[in-house]
Amino acid sequence: MRSKILYISIVMWALVVISCAPVEDDIFTNACVTVTTGEDMAITRVQGQVRLTNVNTRQVVTSSDFEGASVTVELLRGAYQIDIEGVVTCRQSDGQTRARQFRCQSDYAEFIRDDTSISLNIIFLD
Amino acid sequence: MKRLILFILFFITIKTGMMASNADSALVEHTSLGRMTIMEAMRNPALHGAGYRTSFSQLSLGIDLQRQSQAFVQEKGTGFTLPYIKVETYHHLNVRSAVWGEASYTTGKQHNVKWNSTSDYDLLQPYVLADTAGGDTHRERYTISGGYAMHINRWLLGAEMLVRAEQEYRDRDPRMRGVVTDLTLRLGGGSEFGRYRLGAAIEGNIYKQTNSVAFYREEGVIPEYQMTGLGTEYSRFSGDKRSLYYDGGGVALLLHLSPMGYSGAYGDISLDQHRYHRKLAEYNSMPLTDLYNEHVGATIGWKRESKHRIAAFGHLDYTRRTGNEHVGGTSDARYFPVIACLTMYKQRLFDTHAGVLYGADHWTATLKAGYMSSTEEYVYPHRQMSHSHAYGRLQGQCFLRLAEKLLLTVDAHAAHYISTGKKLSMPFANMEAHFIQLIQRKHDYSTANYTDLGAKVRADLAWKQTRYGLFAEVGCAVTLCSMREHETMLQSSIGITF
Repeated sequence: MRSKILYISIVMWALVVISCAPVEDDIFTNACVTVTTGEDMAITRVQGQVRLTNVNTRQVVTSSDFEGASVTVELLRGAYQIDIEGVVTCRQSDGQTRARQFRCQSDYAEFIRDDTSISLNIIFLD
Repeated sequence: MKRLILFILFFITIKTGMMASNADSALVEHTSLGRMTIMEAMRNPALHGAGYRTSFSQLSLGIDLQRQSQAFVQEKGTGFTLPYIKVETYHHLNVRSAVWGEASYTTGKQHNVKWNSTSDYDLLQPYVLADTAGGDTHRERYTISGGYAMHINRWLLGAEMLVRAEQEYRDRDPRMRGVVTDLTLRLGGGSEFGRYRLGAAIEGNIYKQTNSVAFYREEGVIPEYQMTGLGTEYSRFSGDKRSLYYDGGGVALLLHLSPMGYSGAYGDISLDQHRYHRKLAEYNSMPLTDLYNEHVGATIGWKRESKHRIAAFGHLDYTRRTGNEHVGGTSDARYFPVIACLTMYKQRLFDTHAGVLYGADHWTATLKAGYMSSTEEYVYPHRQMSHSHAYGRLQGQCFLRLAEKLLLTVDAHAAHYISTGKKLSMPFANMEAHFIQLIQRKHDYSTANYTDLGAKVRADLAWKQTRYGLFAEVGCAVTLCSMREHETMLQSSIGITF
């Protein structure tokens, strides 16, 4: 009797363990977006707004907290469309500092893994 | 000669009495409220085979009607009209084996369904296809089931199969269509240990549904939402993506302990896990969501069956529903890779009650008092809806012999559900108006108080000196909601027993 109850208990626990739903509760990641000039100039300061639109849910996250040329945002893991607009201050090769209007754009960027980084090239508007 | 006539009359009287008595005892055994203490055990086919002493079959033709003044659950509509024909049988082949089966056909209408274009809402919610228009739907359901159990020495063995095929459709825009096939297989065993019978069974289930919505009038096309819980939707694949299918199934383990004799402790434990995958048919079967329903049920009680039937029991149900959303990547020739899977929807359902049962010769009554709660959560952006109710339910059944061949069965119940707590946390400022209306209404009705009253009468007439009988049954119930709305139900059926 005892052994039979033991067998049944083992089967029950095996069933419980096997059948547990796969849960993925770690749903956020830190996304670091960096703007680059791609030219012979160094970015000293960025004033602008980054707008990340989740491709699947259409939720929009915005941030203006640039540190140097980068902004870090906590996001729901997923695929995003990125739009950045603002003013960048950069030092040119001749040593002069100049503020220029710019925008960056990416139709698709994946932020799935922890602390994902992406670099976007600046398009100057002036 | 006189002796011969007297003998024949005596024989006919005894035979008639036996037949009426046998038929009545079978009816009483198979429909008695007192059997509620072993109903959970009947899921184990081995115990089902040993569950009745008498054979009983019934062919019935009936109709179930339900009307709500306002839909208590919009996704299920304001009621239904469902005529049916059903045949069910339980038959002892010999002292060691029994077979049973059921076949039915139901057809009818579900009225004013809104925010749901998918069949089997209770099973698949919240992952359904939905729109704001809705309307009546036509339903057709076929069920067939059969089982066999045998007794070998101290051991009971049994197997059972249940099949359900159902289609639901609407013949005006939005033309939803859901075609369901649902197959369940059960294998069970049981054994006698001293004064007790121990049973164990395993159940496997396969579930499929193809689901689509079509519009014939181009100017009347409205978006179909891929709902993801608490008024959220999978935006990227909502709108014109209206063809999908569900692929699912699950397993269950059932344990049962009951006394062999007329008194003792009894108990049941059931563990169920079912999963349902929603896939987009038009995008190369891209998985959208996975729903996991996990359930634990436990009953423990004590009963004594003698001249008086007495039982006291406690029951607990805990259900955890977890929803995972698949994150689609960039498309390539109508193929969307899945780049991540996130757990976004969680629901916890808890129901516990304690009760007593008392019965004498021809009547049985039960009284239950319980508490149930539901907590539903969408993780991000955070949404939460919860509610709880305390409830009491009184139920009674009485068998009345009105004439030698006429047996009346009267069932009645009264129940009251009173709200004991509620919570709603929603980002209403960022929600569209129709989703706000959906959620507020759902919250209002799920936190309302309900009073349920009902009665059912069944008359069984034994047919001359045969084992056949005729029956007619009529029942009605009223549910009053504190939202100043009500529901009425009417059940009616006629048929033959054999």
